Amino acid sequence: MSNSFIRIDNLKKTFGGLKAVDVEHLTFDQNILTSIIGPNGAGKTTLFDLISGFQEEDTGEIFYKNKNITRSQPYKISRLGIVRTFQLTKVFDRMTVLENLMFSGSSIKNDSLLNSIFKTSNNKKYEKSLKDKSFQIMEDLNIHQMADSYARELSGGQKKLLELGRSLIKNPEVLMLDEPLAGVNPKLAEDLLETIQNLSKSGITILMVEHNIDAVMKISDRVVVLAEGSVIADGQPQDVRLNPKVIEAYLGTNND
Amino acid sequence: MKISGKWIFTLLLTIFSVSLVFYFNPGGPLRILGNLLTFAGIYALAAIGLNVHFGMTGLLNFGHASFMGVGAYVTLLLVPHAAGREGEISENGLPFLSALLIGIVAAALFGLLLGLPAIRLRGDYLAIVTIAAAEIFRLLVRDLESITGGVYGIINFSSALQKYRPLFFDEFITELELAPAQIWVGLLSWVSIFFTLILIKRLNQSPWGRALRAVREDEDAVRALGKNAVWLKLQSFMLGAGIAGLAGVFLAFNYGSVQTTLFVPLLTFYVWAIMILGGVGSLTGPIFGSIIFWAIISETDKLAALIFENADGQQLAGVRFALVGLLIMILMIFRPSGLLGKKEELLLNVK
Repeated sequence: MSNSFIRIDNLKKTFGGLKAVDVEHLTFDQNILTSIIGPNGAGKTTLFDLISGFQEEDTGEIFYKNKNITRSQPYKISRLGIVRTFQLTKVFDRMTVLENLMFSGSSIKNDSLLNSIFKTSNNKKYEKSLKDKSFQIMEDLNIHQMADSYARELSGGQKKLLELGRSLIKNPEVLMLDEPLAGVNPKLAEDLLETIQNLSKSGITILMVEHNIDAVMKISDRVVVLAEGSVIADGQPQDVRLNPKVIEAYLGTNND
Repeated sequence: MKISGKWIFTLLLTIFSVSLVFYFNPGGPLRILGNLLTFAGIYALAAIGLNVHFGMTGLLNFGHASFMGVGAYVTLLLVPHAAGREGEISENGLPFLSALLIGIVAAALFGLLLGLPAIRLRGDYLAIVTIAAAEIFRLLVRDLESITGGVYGIINFSSALQKYRPLFFDEFITELELAPAQIWVGLLSWVSIFFTLILIKRLNQSPWGRALRAVREDEDAVRALGKNAVWLKLQSFMLGAGIAGLAGVFLAFNYGSVQTTLFVPLLTFYVWAIMILGGVGSLTGPIFGSIIFWAIISETDKLAALIFENADGQQLAGVRFALVGLLIMILMIFRPSGLLGKKEELLLNVK
């Protein structure tokens, strides 16, 4: 068990009196596509925020490859290889699609002020390769025709693609997708699902929060169901789907 | 076409503003023009620094006057000067250039000092902290009379810069019936603008500039992508503060004496007005914004005198600022992104 990729122990987070996350023990294994589902307010996004460092837990610990990442800064967690996207897409509106990708892919050294003042030939070479890499990713995601458009001119679905591309250019080991299909038209959603599945096959560990149950059941290796912050079911998609607790959480017993 | 239209409008407005000087001062327009361009240069430089903060990075800095003040005070205290009521001239001091460099670095460090606790705040909260810090700086300088001269300020420092004025320059300027000392300061500030803009242009097109723009757009996304947003913002704060420090030094040398009343919040708001007028995020916008702003400031009282024939000087001064406000409002209605700002990058939505 201690060899799991991401390990969460006794994680608790409350907002005022509201219990957002209360997870005793949860692990995510390498190279597995795990979906996290649950009714609204189940704590899915909060769990993402805690893992990626955007919120501080009340108690508990999170390990990544046996390294304690509890209370680490988001950018440090990201540098370890855990890259996340956001429920409400966060693209850099007034930068071009190409700039969005190049910024993301750029190394810390390349971004430095001194480098930017002196601009050695090495930097120029690096920028050139970064540009090529960005175009490669845009072509893979079929947004290359928008390369020089401002990101805010993209459709909702294209923004989701850009956000995905921006994460991929960092060669992440773990990709955390927060509702990648929200607001995406059915055709594009299908393509996106296929892309996500291919990414998983290529060796990226994927955690995904998603409301589209059919999509989740189709591509996930494992499904974790949260309700009121706690795990109520965990297993293969088909088993989870038939779990009475899950049906109850989603439909409610005394439906009002 | 769109770009050239923007430029034509800006140039026409600049020419019109400057021609007001000639129209209203048939006796000696050059003297007034020299004064105007000196002030315009100094304020443009300060606005370029502010543009690094707001235009490039989206930081709401309302304490710009304090950065200018730190640059000015540190530099002046290092060159030969006289401070305070008794005002004895201290003969020994550093040469101007090394004092200037230390002053700029001090302004940048003040930016860092202010930024460390404050930069994590967003939008309007940062604005409140910066305006408060600027007032603390000003009051501190006022009360540390033994060092800074307090309310009496610092005088007799001008020669530190003016002694480098070449002789042919004096002859040429005197022939034009202008004040060589002021034109010298003005000239140096425009030279500084030139080199500062080269630096900013280079940075704008660099990975660093790209990173700052990303911070401006969405800090959370920047952090999720493994970039240290706080450090990027601090660097931007320091660079802009350093440029403001340089502008502050020229401002002090232009006046020939410096008191804390020079660095009141009004100075900050003038610089803001110039930056917005020229176009937030625009490279050369502050230059044109500054010339037009100062032409309006210096000539509107004469314009007002045409409208209100029986008004006295004090009343005209009041009308002047009302007219300045009106002109800025009109401009903002028809060109909300400023004279040279990009419409696509129109920004006043601060996070």
